[in-house]
Amino acid sequence: MNRILNFIRGLLVNRISKFGVVLVTSAFISFIVLEFFSLVGIYTNAYFGLITYLLLPGLFLFGLLLIPLGWWRHKVTSGENMAALLADSFSTEDIQKRWRGSNLFVWLMIFTFINILFIVGASVRTLHFMDSAYFCGNACHSVMHPEWIVYQESPHARVPCVECHVGEGMGALVDSKLNGVRQMFSATFDLYERPIPTPVHRLRPSRETCEKCHWPDQFYGNRIIRITHYLPDSSNTPEYTTLAMKIDNEKDRNAGIHWHISRDHRVLYSSKDDAREEMVEIRVEDGQGAGRIYTNRRLKGPVETGKGLREMDCVDCHNRATHRYEDPSKAVDMAIVHGDIPAELPFIKREALAVLTANYPDKSAGLTGIGQRLEGYYTAVEFPTSPGDVEQAIVACQKIYKRNIHPLMNVNWNPYPDYIGHQHDGGCFRCHNEDLVDESGNHIPYDCTTCHSILAWDSPDAFQFLQAVDSTTTDLHLHQYLQREFMKLGK
Amino acid sequence: MKRFYLTLLILLWSILAATEPGETAAGKCVTCHKEKNPGMYHQWRNSGHGRSNVTCYDCHQADKNDPDAFEHEGATIATLVTPFDCSQCHEKEAEQTMGSHHAKAGEILESADAFLAHVAGGHPAVIVGCESCHGSKVKLDPDSPNKLSKESWPNSGIGRLNPDGSKGSCNACHSRHSFSKEQARQPENCGKCHLGPDHPQKEIYEESKHGIAYRTFREDLNMNRDSWVVGVDYYQAPTCASCHMSATRKQEVTHDVGDRISWTLRPIVSNKLDNWEEKRSNMTDVCLGCHQKTFVDGHYYQYDALVELYNEKFAKPAKEINTMLHKKNLMERKAAFSNEVDWLFWELWHHEGRRARMGTAMMGPDYAWWHGIYDVAHNFYFQFLPAAREYDDHEINAYIDNLLENDEMHTWLNRSNEDLKADIRSGKLPQVYQNLFNK
Repeated sequence: MNRILNFIRGLLVNRISKFGVVLVTSAFISFIVLEFFSLVGIYTNAYFGLITYLLLPGLFLFGLLLIPLGWWRHKVTSGENMAALLADSFSTEDIQKRWRGSNLFVWLMIFTFINILFIVGASVRTLHFMDSAYFCGNACHSVMHPEWIVYQESPHARVPCVECHVGEGMGALVDSKLNGVRQMFSATFDLYERPIPTPVHRLRPSRETCEKCHWPDQFYGNRIIRITHYLPDSSNTPEYTTLAMKIDNEKDRNAGIHWHISRDHRVLYSSKDDAREEMVEIRVEDGQGAGRIYTNRRLKGPVETGKGLREMDCVDCHNRATHRYEDPSKAVDMAIVHGDIPAELPFIKREALAVLTANYPDKSAGLTGIGQRLEGYYTAVEFPTSPGDVEQAIVACQKIYKRNIHPLMNVNWNPYPDYIGHQHDGGCFRCHNEDLVDESGNHIPYDCTTCHSILAWDSPDAFQFLQAVDSTTTDLHLHQYLQREFMKLGK
Repeated sequence: MKRFYLTLLILLWSILAATEPGETAAGKCVTCHKEKNPGMYHQWRNSGHGRSNVTCYDCHQADKNDPDAFEHEGATIATLVTPFDCSQCHEKEAEQTMGSHHAKAGEILESADAFLAHVAGGHPAVIVGCESCHGSKVKLDPDSPNKLSKESWPNSGIGRLNPDGSKGSCNACHSRHSFSKEQARQPENCGKCHLGPDHPQKEIYEESKHGIAYRTFREDLNMNRDSWVVGVDYYQAPTCASCHMSATRKQEVTHDVGDRISWTLRPIVSNKLDNWEEKRSNMTDVCLGCHQKTFVDGHYYQYDALVELYNEKFAKPAKEINTMLHKKNLMERKAAFSNEVDWLFWELWHHEGRRARMGTAMMGPDYAWWHGIYDVAHNFYFQFLPAAREYDDHEINAYIDNLLENDEMHTWLNRSNEDLKADIRSGKLPQVYQNLFNK
């Protein structure tokens, strides 16, 4: 022990090397202690990861560099030769030449070995930590904050970011780290866009990512989805739209919506710029490369088409499978469906929507504003409300607001288009419309029952069109047609 | 029990009857268009058509051989719904419309109005201006998704010349897809076209007692009633439709807007139409719903005199001078409207001249005088006559001199104030115009 201390004392020739030794030692000890705590579960807060795996190894390396730097300065300022300096700092016994090298040399070798071991170990732990979603979501603080928040509420909250964004293999790792350096640079010098644009070209092919869990041999069949929409009236009357989604078919895997990603053919497209909203050309190729070409008759002259033809995969429709931002009205509807906002509170749909979409100067003003406005409204109108209902609604609205609104990143309601379905004429209708036609002028089918049957449409009855047809209503034909269309599915 | 089986049989039969291909097509149309064009769906759904089970397919179905027919989601349809289509159910209305002056509006392409728009304006102006009210000759384009050329679609002009040979567009007044009779009865409906410097019927109506009463009592006019008889179902105010089209206690509703019009106020010189007495008696019948006979007679007495005044004092002389200018080939440029005097003459009768006559017909005093005869006189004396004199033709100059010196309606130009005031006071000057009354 004494000999170790003597060796260390010998290193302390000036302030630089002293500081280096202190850094190395304290970083080393802290790392071991924190890592031990983490392993035995004394702390579980992922925030410590930033200290243990980024800060401490960094300090360690920095301190290690300071020691030779100190010695170099010591040599320059003293003007003496190395032998004399070594003799000053270490005992003669330690610097005496031996067959295995001097004691000092041996100590140096031992410490270097320990350092290398530590650095390798810490690097592995650091890389591992950098693969965690917590790192991606928090290392850049405000930049990734909106994505981090919505990711945690998404169906993929248990899938780490790197599973989809980095991919596999050394190439992908190096690429992602290099890109990380660029991002660090732009985060430090404030060179990033707000909101962050969707990294369409950096996404890994979904065959490498999505298909690890959702492999194509699985099939989904027809799925019934029910969309609940509450009216802005006093009793928040629910209306249902029920769709039987024709996703795929056990008899024919190439039928249904997932036809687009069948292995038997390829669907390729080029779009105007990278937004992938307005299609320029669509090709459907069978296995042999023969197929059909649809072009957009609305576009005149040459069009800039981003990166040319792209083969359609999962993310062309499921582009917001994880980073789901909500539409305020839908967010309120969902909160009422889940019981987070009490449906019994009169006019809560209308009021919640109003407080959520009001203009607030910043996030904290938004959160306070939501509370004050809802509280104020229900105090003023004197509706009979159950105790705690208003408070519960306030908390739920604040949660919705926190989740979706990020003023620092210019993220307001619906910052990105969602291509699943066909909101605002996007999604499916980007290709399924009257403008994309083949040589003979035939368009890609876009009629409503191509992809889903309709069992209810903004109706108080969730299975409206499965009920007997009422021949006295205006919607008689609609009802009859949709009922029969659905019945045919079973045949 | 028998009755039960009978009912069951009828029920089954009606279900079977309701499964015709057309009905399936209709269901399919509504499904997609409810999503794609929700406004259109809601308009139709709440319309008389929607409530009476008249579907998209009933109006839009087409024969494969129709020039504008196209295949759409398994059905052969046409975008354009023409009076022939509407006449499947509304036979009488379509017939009346197609025989009316409205249906001839599309033939304007051969008229001076259209000539002016083509030469002084340009083709796009003709499409969006003239043809939007008058109706275009519908052009076909085989490359267009609905076979209609974009140059003539959309077009809901009232005299549209349709590919099936029919004239007109019911949709001009009965806007799709609500087809609301209430809307067709609103003055604003006619105001899409009947306004502006050349025929400000809408503005005249607003200025008139009728328009004022309408604005005050529009909620009380029961405009959504099936029966809408003036003086019976409503009495506070008439709208354009009340006088020109709607039912009275004696007359049925007519879709020939000319049925009650005795003067034509459109041309350079107004004249009474064929069967004008019958037409006037039709209109008088409308007035009597709310007014005394003496009131109506008085109105026509004043109205006729004003039209005669315009005809005799300004229109006929101006027309004569204009004819001479053209006959003598005096003008430098040969095309119509290529010389300013053409524009002055045009505005004299086509703008201010019509304003004066129409202002009087519908009891809008400001349009009769300030926007009307006042502007006519100003143009005539200080623009048109000086412009005509500039050609320095002795015959034309003599005509003008003779007019101003010998026609008592014009001699005031060369008399003194005191003299004229004395003649106004004594009734001598009004007497000059006496022969215009009861002519």
